[in-house]
Amino acid sequence: MEVNEQLIRAITEAVVRQLHADGAQAGRNSGIGQASGPQAAGSAPRSGSGSGQGVTQSLAGKTRMRPKHSYEGAERAKQGTDPKEVVIGVGAAFQTEINATIGGIPLDDVLRNVKAGIEEEGMTSRVVKVLDTSDVCFMALQSAKLSGSGIGIGIQSKGTTVIHQKDLYPLTNLELFPQAPLMDLETYRKIGKNAAKYVKGEKVTPIECTNDPMVRAKYQVKAALMHIIETEQLDPDKGMIVWEGAR
Amino acid sequence: MRRSKRIEALDARAVNKDGFIDEWPEMGFVAMHSPYDPKPSVSVENGVITELDGKKRADFDFLDQFIADYAIRIDRAQQSMAMPSLEIARKIVDIQTSRKEILEIISGITPAKMVEVINYLNVVEMMMGMQKMRARKVPGNQAHITNLKDDPVQIAADAAEGALRGFSEEETTTGVARYAPFNAIALLIGSQVGRKGVLTQCAVEEATELELGIRGLTTYAETLSVYGTEKVFIDGDDTPYSKAFLNAAYASRGLKVRFTSGAGSEVLMGSSERKSMLYLECRCLYVTKGAGTQGIQNGSVSCVGVAAGVPAGIREIMGENLVAALLGLECASSNDQSFSNSDMRRTARTMLQFMPGTDFIFSGYAAEPNYDNMFAGSNFDAEDFDDYNVLQRDMQVDGGLRPVTEEEVIRVRREAGKAVQAVFKYLGLTEVTDEQVEAVTYAHGSKDTLKRDVASDLMAADDLMKRGITGVDVVKALAESGFVDLAESILNMLKQRVIGDYMHTAAILDEHFQVMSGVNTPNDYMGPGTGYRVTGQRWEEIKAIPHRIDVNEF
Repeated sequence: MEVNEQLIRAITEAVVRQLHADGAQAGRNSGIGQASGPQAAGSAPRSGSGSGQGVTQSLAGKTRMRPKHSYEGAERAKQGTDPKEVVIGVGAAFQTEINATIGGIPLDDVLRNVKAGIEEEGMTSRVVKVLDTSDVCFMALQSAKLSGSGIGIGIQSKGTTVIHQKDLYPLTNLELFPQAPLMDLETYRKIGKNAAKYVKGEKVTPIECTNDPMVRAKYQVKAALMHIIETEQLDPDKGMIVWEGAR
Repeated sequence: MRRSKRIEALDARAVNKDGFIDEWPEMGFVAMHSPYDPKPSVSVENGVITELDGKKRADFDFLDQFIADYAIRIDRAQQSMAMPSLEIARKIVDIQTSRKEILEIISGITPAKMVEVINYLNVVEMMMGMQKMRARKVPGNQAHITNLKDDPVQIAADAAEGALRGFSEEETTTGVARYAPFNAIALLIGSQVGRKGVLTQCAVEEATELELGIRGLTTYAETLSVYGTEKVFIDGDDTPYSKAFLNAAYASRGLKVRFTSGAGSEVLMGSSERKSMLYLECRCLYVTKGAGTQGIQNGSVSCVGVAAGVPAGIREIMGENLVAALLGLECASSNDQSFSNSDMRRTARTMLQFMPGTDFIFSGYAAEPNYDNMFAGSNFDAEDFDDYNVLQRDMQVDGGLRPVTEEEVIRVRREAGKAVQAVFKYLGLTEVTDEQVEAVTYAHGSKDTLKRDVASDLMAADDLMKRGITGVDVVKALAESGFVDLAESILNMLKQRVIGDYMHTAAILDEHFQVMSGVNTPNDYMGPGTGYRVTGQRWEEIKAIPHRIDVNEF
């Protein structure tokens, strides 16, 4: 964890810098809603830590984290028929507005490892982007329902992951990995493997739980911001779209 | 820039690892008041509320409608709304004004009016208010009983020790969801070993939780979540009406229930509608009241990292606890989730509920080391037991716990383990070995226990559900395995559902299975010399912390 922390800090700072730039941009470009409020947003980026700044930054009038991505012409994902497939449903900001998990793992690597895990067990994977919900349980359940095997995986852009089965209640699951900052690529690979094993109907031993009792203190505010980025990219009319290689 | 060594030392402090963010009302990052919060108003025509907080009935979302129809006393509305918010705030603090009178006034005000009232109170005044408005005369406490391995033997042992230490309620959850029936049974058994009459619940997916309750494997439920905006409700496939229905399902089987809500959930889910956390939480609490449930677990709960990240967030948390009490609801006041790396900050946050006392000061104190807490860490854990006992002794405050001896701890842990072993054997579930019971008896946490065969456990848990095993089967298993007294205790817990008294506001059971609630033991605080005081036998118990100097041996 300690190793990762520096990396996270570096990423966070980069994100914040970009955010301020984007914030100003979004304010100028959008003529909708509250964007016409006082335009002080982004004018006072805070650097460093520890020292009091005297005043807090004004975020009044800022209504978005990122500009809206267009999914015009995107191909709607089809209902699967292949009994060997696992559908991986990724979040709306996945590989577009967000490129690394809250723990700093590149999303390209996350996807590569989940897919590799599935393939190692002799099953096939199909990636879709879920544009009608950012709730990871529903993302996973919808993916499972789309999947020819009835097994699906939901992955939010911050890294939170669920393995789901099409006939379960939405808020239950086969396996849930709620603490995204603790995830590593090995775990993502195991998630792919276990999902494939559920497809095969094997007796599966769930991946061991991990727990950092201070995760909320360190990450919850950042998690909220990342979830806002994801949620504001939703495009419910588009539903679930084909995402394989769509980078 | 050359760095100041002073500032470097400060930068390295634990508190600076916490997450802080400036106020941003557009995204809901604002605690007490947002410029977009509505102004209080109400109109009543022909016995129906036709305007609520600046919105006409035709523009109501489903929360507004539910609140207008079920959560506000229409016969009181105009009179209560005419009273200035400042006057209501003063009455809340005034020791000459009784709890009953406040409840009457509050029953007619709207959520936006409530926000106005609370904004007049500083944290000390909120604590004064809570001291008077808490439903039950004697405060209580609740434990979290979980572990990383979902080990049922450890759950039973920690439950027994927790009950011995004074918790009136115990809550478990799972790491792997399908472990739920095992965890529920282990908790049910273990709790009664430690102290008769402790209530237990298993927080899992709502349909599963209901089924465990109906089967008598749990004795109350808490995780019925409500939210302050329509969008977040819909995202969870829910409405206030479906929650009211779920509440009624529990009630139909005589089970105690409370709802759960708290500041920050709408922010975390990206749908705060630019409102303050306090306003959204008021809406949640009105929905809770309208749904007819007796109580709430609130105080930001699992979203505390967000609430604590904004200015006045901790004040807001105490404010929302007070709103629950003002609405006459039982308040299980959170403190159940870690939110700060700083021991100083986490303790200060808890003092707001600890000092005035709430119905449950924690709605989950981790009665295991926090690495085993599957709610991602509580604000206090098993390693804080002695600190907590000393705080009670220092301030002569009843925080719901008591000091224990090592001999008692070992005894109840072993007995709970043995009982689970016997029940698992009788019901044909996975084997619990003697070695496992011994390891758990002396363990601090799951790092000290043996590994279980998870895949076999999960198959047995599935099978248990398919076979329709109920609380009565657990009673039978215990009785026929020689645990007659324990069987009797669990049967007594099941009988509560037929009697129904423990569905009253803020009910807990004493060791004789007698109900103590806001109805038969109401809080009657009206200033010095009244209300609950820590005296007599309870004070003697609190004084007897371990590690006192023995003057005779000095």
